[in-house]
Amino acid sequence: MAFETFKKLNLLKFGYDWLNQRVPLEAAIKFAGKKEVPVHQHSLWYYMGGICMLFVVLQLVTGLLLMVHYVPTFEDAYQSVMNINNKIPFGWLIRSMHSWGANLFIAVLVIHMFSTYFMKAYRSPRELTWFSGLGLIGLAMVFGFTGYLLPMDEIAFFATKVGVDVAGSAPFVGELVAYFVRGGEEIGQGTMSRFFLIHVCALPAALLGALGLHLLLIQIHGISEPEYFKKLSIKKYEKFFPDFILNDMFIWVAVTLLFLGIVCINPWPLGPTADPAAAAPIGIRPEWYFLSQFQVLKMMPAKFLGFIEGEHLGMAIIGAAASTMALVPFLDTGKNPTVSKLATVWGVVFLIALAVLTYLGLQ
Amino acid sequence: MSYPVWEVPNIGNGWVIGLIAIFHVFISHFAIGGGAFLALTETLALKKNDDRIYDYIKKHSKFFLLLTTVLGAVSGVGIWWAIGLANPSGTQVLIQNFGLFWGAEWVFFAAELATFLAYYYTMGKMDKKQHCTIAWIYFAISFGTLFVINGILTGMLTNGGWLGADGNIVGTVYDSFFNPAFWPALFIRLFIMFALAGIYALLTASTIKGADDLKHYLLRYSAKWMLPGLIAGPLFLVWYLFTLPPATQQVILSGLSAIGEGNFSLMAKVIFLAIVCATSLIGMVIVGPFLNPKGFNTTFALILLASGFGFMFTEEWSREMMRKPYVIYNYMYSNGLRKNQIAEVNAEGFFKNHAWARAESQTLAKEDDLGRGKLMFRYQCMSCHTATGTGYRSMARLLGERDENAIQNLITLMKDNHVLVPEEVTDADGNKTIVKKAKTPYNGYMPPVVGHQDELDALSKYLVSISKKGMATQEDATAQTHMASQSTSVTQKS
Repeated sequence: MAFETFKKLNLLKFGYDWLNQRVPLEAAIKFAGKKEVPVHQHSLWYYMGGICMLFVVLQLVTGLLLMVHYVPTFEDAYQSVMNINNKIPFGWLIRSMHSWGANLFIAVLVIHMFSTYFMKAYRSPRELTWFSGLGLIGLAMVFGFTGYLLPMDEIAFFATKVGVDVAGSAPFVGELVAYFVRGGEEIGQGTMSRFFLIHVCALPAALLGALGLHLLLIQIHGISEPEYFKKLSIKKYEKFFPDFILNDMFIWVAVTLLFLGIVCINPWPLGPTADPAAAAPIGIRPEWYFLSQFQVLKMMPAKFLGFIEGEHLGMAIIGAAASTMALVPFLDTGKNPTVSKLATVWGVVFLIALAVLTYLGLQ
Repeated sequence: MSYPVWEVPNIGNGWVIGLIAIFHVFISHFAIGGGAFLALTETLALKKNDDRIYDYIKKHSKFFLLLTTVLGAVSGVGIWWAIGLANPSGTQVLIQNFGLFWGAEWVFFAAELATFLAYYYTMGKMDKKQHCTIAWIYFAISFGTLFVINGILTGMLTNGGWLGADGNIVGTVYDSFFNPAFWPALFIRLFIMFALAGIYALLTASTIKGADDLKHYLLRYSAKWMLPGLIAGPLFLVWYLFTLPPATQQVILSGLSAIGEGNFSLMAKVIFLAIVCATSLIGMVIVGPFLNPKGFNTTFALILLASGFGFMFTEEWSREMMRKPYVIYNYMYSNGLRKNQIAEVNAEGFFKNHAWARAESQTLAKEDDLGRGKLMFRYQCMSCHTATGTGYRSMARLLGERDENAIQNLITLMKDNHVLVPEEVTDADGNKTIVKKAKTPYNGYMPPVVGHQDELDALSKYLVSISKKGMATQEDATAQTHMASQSTSVTQKS
């Protein structure tokens, strides 16, 4: 019905016909019309992927706009962000959208990951879809880490310093990694150049690649169905185009509204300029999405069993926990109900641990 | 100015009015726009001779009855209760000035209730054509309530020829009522009401079960109620903007503020958010019920309703903020001080001119400057500020790192807050003109602080005592006294 309405509007019809003569638009729409989305009591979670996409677009657009006025040098970065905030028309809005967007993007990605985890969407043949999704979360976190330094305010500088120092304490390669990331012994212009380059060139390219692969795999395998739905004798589906995509658009507008509400009511702050020679402010801590890992490291004893460094043990625990997410498609294949239940329980434990550790990290 | 102050901890009394008022406006606008919806939809049912539409109207009007007559009426009384307590001086002027219009408003309101009860309880029991006429009568009467309240509300901001430049009343109440913003504001409110009627109707239509064709038809029909606002809304908004006082226009159009967060004023941010809400609502209605009625369900309808509330919240809040620092523009400040009183109060002293402050000050010792300062704060500042802690516009927080000198300078600045000074301006062609510019950056945001110098000094002392630096000094002094008493006790023991 929506498609028919769309066609009835003459101006749009003219545009549609013009484009259709040049690209196979009708064929593409027909192809999209064949795709179906299962309708069930957990269908709401399907919108999470679309919301993630929305945030990718918002981050790319606001990031490009910020780059017009941002100066990526150790001395001038802070002043340029001040200018964006206070002198450039709507600069405060674009900067706040980018900072808030980065955090909300990761939050929505995590929700999307757990919703697909509990719907067992990682099972064959969707293992690669699952891995590309995990890769996207990793990329989003690195985006967050590299972007955090760029305003060069006090918190940005010292939180980055703490983060790099933590990486530096990793066994064997830690110091080398930290030196490479910093571009020297201390955080300075070398760090700024690296972070900026990674943030605006390397990561967007990697993100678009991973996202493309993720979407391609969804096209190939279709949208996954929960186990109970597969067993139903009467199943309900809706067309991906235009029905699901119109619902998706409705959600995008609603989420954008909510997002702009948060941004306008509580614009992202800019602290005092960083003074590398000064002592780190009391209670400095990383962004919320690194807090659970940070808390694990904080909880470790200095030495474990007398010879293992506490930080090394912490990193091993974090690595082991994270690798369970990567291994789950191979462990829970759907053939063994007990393993399937165990995977669900593990997901719940993982989620609760993440929440509790993040909460403890905030204290 | 001689009324007591209603202290509301944390949120301040302004928010009590704000929250009740926004809730009330969200419902009362539905009462009027929804009236038009019932009348037009019943006309449609009559024309199509479709009983299924009648059944829907019956269901919808039950929801309408409960919402508008119960919650609407209760919250309406709540507004009077809240403004009477929070801003008695402003309420007094409104009642005295617009007495005739308030009378008309209550007559319209009583008639509106009676007509709707007649409409609801006669549905299906009388001739359909006659019943439809009742619906139109209801809408006409409810429009009367809008007509009256719109004149009063706009008169509080753009009071036309009612006031002279010095803040004295020179015109009649009709000058204030039929003010420059009256017509654009009336139409803007009508468009908002039609849009809200559509949004509420989408909620009730989304619950229709077992008749998909009717449901889809009504969803698309309800979605079209956004159209008047979409087409004509921006034009009337521009007209409205041109009727606003120049200072308010400047803040809105430049978005800049001398004292706001960053350089962007909070009012401009909220107006921006209101525009985003309106645009989003239109976008959601197009991609939702209009293009995809099949996929539109009650959850989506509730999201639309919440967004509609968000729009009303931001729109009403920014409209109230436009009057700042006045409660009645150019006539009375938000703390009840009239503009034409300033010289008199400065000459005679604040306590002499404020009955309640005077009565309370008489219970204080002669040397209790801090107590007098607290009274100055209560009666001149607490209509907008809370004192300490993290409350709404908390004075302790806003004073920040200011020390005693800085606070004294601030008070001196605030005393001249209403003063405009002539300044020579040269344009691009070299022509020189004299324009009046504000003497302080707080002009247009805060009322002036009034009183004798000793009263202002007392206020300054009180502000120092609640400021961060003042509190830290007090804590240091307490700690030193404690240490001194401990060392004395140790010396005595040894």
